[in-house]
Amino acid sequence: MTIDIAAFLFDTIKMATPLIFAALAALINRHAGMFNMGIEGMILCAALGAVTFAHYGGSMITGLLGGIAVGILTGLFIGFSHLTGKTDLYLTTIAFNLMATGGTVFVMYLMTGDKSTTGAAFRSYLVPNIDIPLIKDIPFLGKVLSGHSLLTYLAFVSIFLVWFLLYKTRIGLRIRSVGENPMAAESVGISVTKVGYIAFLLCGLFSGLAGTFLSMSWVSFFMKGMTSGRGYIGLSAQNMANGSPLGSALVSLLFGATTSLATTMKSQTKFPTEFLDMIPYLATILAIILTNIYKINKKRRIEKGKAAE
Amino acid sequence: MKGSRKTQLIESIMEVVRIVAGMAIAYGVALLILFLISDDPAFIIKQFILGPFSSPRRIGSIINLAVPFIICGISMCFMYAVNKFNLIGESIFMLAGCIITFVGVKIGNSLPMIVMVPLLLIIGAIVGVVLAFIPAIMDRKLNANVVVVSLMLNSVVAQLAIWILRYHMRDTTIGYTASEIIPESMQLPNIFGSLKIGSGIIIALILVVIASILFFKTSFGWKMRLVGANPRFAKAVGFSTLGISFAAQLLGGAIAGIGGATEIMNSYKRYLWMATTGHGFDGLLVAVLAKKNPILVPIGALFLAYIRIGADVVNTSGDIPYEFITVIQGIIILLVAAESFLSGTKNKLIFREVQKEEEKKKALQAKEEAK
Repeated sequence: MTIDIAAFLFDTIKMATPLIFAALAALINRHAGMFNMGIEGMILCAALGAVTFAHYGGSMITGLLGGIAVGILTGLFIGFSHLTGKTDLYLTTIAFNLMATGGTVFVMYLMTGDKSTTGAAFRSYLVPNIDIPLIKDIPFLGKVLSGHSLLTYLAFVSIFLVWFLLYKTRIGLRIRSVGENPMAAESVGISVTKVGYIAFLLCGLFSGLAGTFLSMSWVSFFMKGMTSGRGYIGLSAQNMANGSPLGSALVSLLFGATTSLATTMKSQTKFPTEFLDMIPYLATILAIILTNIYKINKKRRIEKGKAAE
Repeated sequence: MKGSRKTQLIESIMEVVRIVAGMAIAYGVALLILFLISDDPAFIIKQFILGPFSSPRRIGSIINLAVPFIICGISMCFMYAVNKFNLIGESIFMLAGCIITFVGVKIGNSLPMIVMVPLLLIIGAIVGVVLAFIPAIMDRKLNANVVVVSLMLNSVVAQLAIWILRYHMRDTTIGYTASEIIPESMQLPNIFGSLKIGSGIIIALILVVIASILFFKTSFGWKMRLVGANPRFAKAVGFSTLGISFAAQLLGGAIAGIGGATEIMNSYKRYLWMATTGHGFDGLLVAVLAKKNPILVPIGALFLAYIRIGADVVNTSGDIPYEFITVIQGIIILLVAAESFLSGTKNKLIFREVQKEEEKKKALQAKEEAK
């Protein structure tokens, strides 16, 4: 068995892209004090939205904008039922993901007459891949870093943008203060509901990008249930990194590597595919176990330290 | 005192009204969707409403479909009662069905049904406890998010069940992926002749009774409900909230396992699931409709089965894809879960009642002063 390391790393970055977007989406909600599991369903809706708008609008740009728009709309929908309808966020998002799973198939069937993929009925549009001028000529690095989708580069830029937004702007400060202590924020005149809506809007934006990447970059069509848990994995990634944008991205890359490993092994070995398909999910569970043990030990040490004083 | 009792009455009546209104609105939305997308709306809507009752066979299938909904609804009642949205029931249902088929086929017809059925139910329950243990212990010891862990685990377990089917159970004499035909000693017989209702409903109803007793007549049930309703208070009076919610999740898992086992014995001749069946999520819907109350679970389950069969009828007799029903299910959960849905009306009613009381008091006082 021979593994092309450059191809493996290239795949890792590619597979990490939707996870990074998902993690950033979850992270903004987290800083506003909300644990939004609806990202899974939002990404799924956005993925269908992207191919639909691309097909009927006739260009890649309409698809990209459509995917983002659908992401934002679904975000605001969850925001509306949680913030204005006062539903339990867990229950809302589970219900929403249920609706998204069936709803996307339903809408797809109405448009194409097909229940599993839009591949046959819709013209495919791809977000262009970009070769980076100087880097692409460097022997090994060029193969790994150059030639990715525009959205992949956008994902890495977004890490910085989200950090800047959260820690260097007024709205970021408001989002964090609402997450830290909503009552205190309210008492100094910040509208918790309004900030919540802004958080859902931003979350929708990044979910939209994740969905668009899946259906217009990773593959060129929409497929039933194509998110396959990526929203949850992204959510776990930011949870492990305690909501730090850069940390979330690094964990996402790690998860991207596990997916990439599974794909490589599928083509290279005769191991039953069922077990290889488990790898990303098992890796997530394992990572949750390890980080939570670490967090608990750290907390205990701090408590002990206090007791010693 | 009398006033507060009236307030309570209004609250519980409004609770029922809210659930019924939520279901009615969702049903209305379903009809609207059918109306908008169908070429022959009148026919399709009639099919959707009356289709499920059009033949004894279909009435029977409502009951048969309700059996797993009841059992999974009860399973989710346990999880939901302690406010843990542990969704592992989804894959427990699948793996329990897989394992009991495996064991059942191995044993064959050598055991009589009276031994075989309870044995397989117990095996299903064990599968459920073992699987539910993983997210539950991670929740208890590591404070891990139980929803995320259970969903990730669902994907893993589903692959495991597929692997068992493909490599260890597959009947190679047939053209599709399925197990061998299960022995007759584990095929639950039909009752009520022409309705073709499987006797699985009896297992489901026994579980309803057991769960109701556990919920409302034992101290564990009371503690469980307290932990769900007010965890801080439960902790303050010295209950181990973590331990109680842990136990509730294991019980929920056991029941989901029984659900998977019952479903195979009640409705299948071969095991052939290549993906999770969605029953875990259906169970959540039923538990939400029943407001975590096992006694009300059969009603929620029957409603769900009714709209599902309706969707099935329009799927076969018209141009409507079956999946639209999941959208309806989502709307129901959202409406029933929304605190502010109809809360204005509730508050108005309570306010009016209190106002009346106050006026009466004033009138009494005025009388006394006049004396």
